[in-house]
Amino acid sequence: MNILLVEPSQLLARAYTAALERVGHEVVCCSGAQEAIHALDEGLAELIVLELQLGGHSGIEFLYELRSYPEWQSLPVVLNTFAKSLQKPDQVFDRLGVTHYLYKPMTSLRQLVRAVDEASLLRV
Amino acid sequence: MANTGADERLLRALAEQIKLPLVQIASMAELGNPNSLESIAHITEAALSLVDGFLLSSQRAEQETLELEPVSLSSVLMETSHQLDFWAKQNNCDIEVRLAGKYVPVMAHQKSLRSALLLLGYSLIEARAVERRRHRVVLAAHRNPHGGLVAGVFDNQPGISADAFRRGRALYGSARQPIPGLGGANGAGVFIADALLRTMAAPLRVARHNNLTGLAGTFHPSSQLQFVS
Repeated sequence: MNILLVEPSQLLARAYTAALERVGHEVVCCSGAQEAIHALDEGLAELIVLELQLGGHSGIEFLYELRSYPEWQSLPVVLNTFAKSLQKPDQVFDRLGVTHYLYKPMTSLRQLVRAVDEASLLRV
Repeated sequence: MANTGADERLLRALAEQIKLPLVQIASMAELGNPNSLESIAHITEAALSLVDGFLLSSQRAEQETLELEPVSLSSVLMETSHQLDFWAKQNNCDIEVRLAGKYVPVMAHQKSLRSALLLLGYSLIEARAVERRRHRVVLAAHRNPHGGLVAGVFDNQPGISADAFRRGRALYGSARQPIPGLGGANGAGVFIADALLRTMAAPLRVARHNNLTGLAGTFHPSSQLQFVS
């Protein structure tokens, strides 16, 4: 599966890429929201792994923009983030089509890979 | 430990910031790649510098006297650049020292100055690494028109404006990204560096070095040693 990884830390991006590639996924990395939109325009991503705390536009802004395009409305999104508290997260995430919310400090690489595998099954 | 509001805010910022290196270490350890061991050691070193910097700023703020000593800026800048070298390479960054001439020693607290410059270096390197293209971070010093010596960390990106830095000072510890120019980071390193420099009466400010912008403190030359160099 082609995964778009939106992750500002280069070191973490390398670790997540290695873990996802080990189980056969192909990963394209972006560090920010704008770059991620450009990567989506290339049309290869089938799933997004997203950090909400990005430089410039936040991950939430990115999600709202993503869902405003008809062709990306059903793209599964796995949040893997340092952001802990959001108001009414379930409602917000449901509305934005987030399939999994992972709190990064408590998430191992194995858990991330498992969440990606589960999310990939939800693809329309 | 935290006696003042400023200390508490710094501690909160530190606690948030320290999660990143811990997650990086945990992820690299889980991958089990033997080549990662050196990176893990350096990530740990950077995280410990942050903790050490906070403790030092806290201890120094409680002292009643400034305890300044003559310090060679050139040697502190060179030493700091060596310490940042591996971190810079890991983050697609070139590190450079620029000294506009030969300087007399300045009145500072050597350990605090070294710690502040190191934290500023780590912060700027990491902030620019988000942009994923090769970049340059410069440790530099120059004389200002008032006879002071300005020393800090600079780069050639638009970076942080004086307004953004002022707002950031009011927000750190409670906002996730108090300074937008620092990428996704919460700026704990920058604000701990500011606290350390304040203990030397040289608070951090936005500064320019030739065509570069950055963050720096202004130090006063040691009067006793002006004739030595």
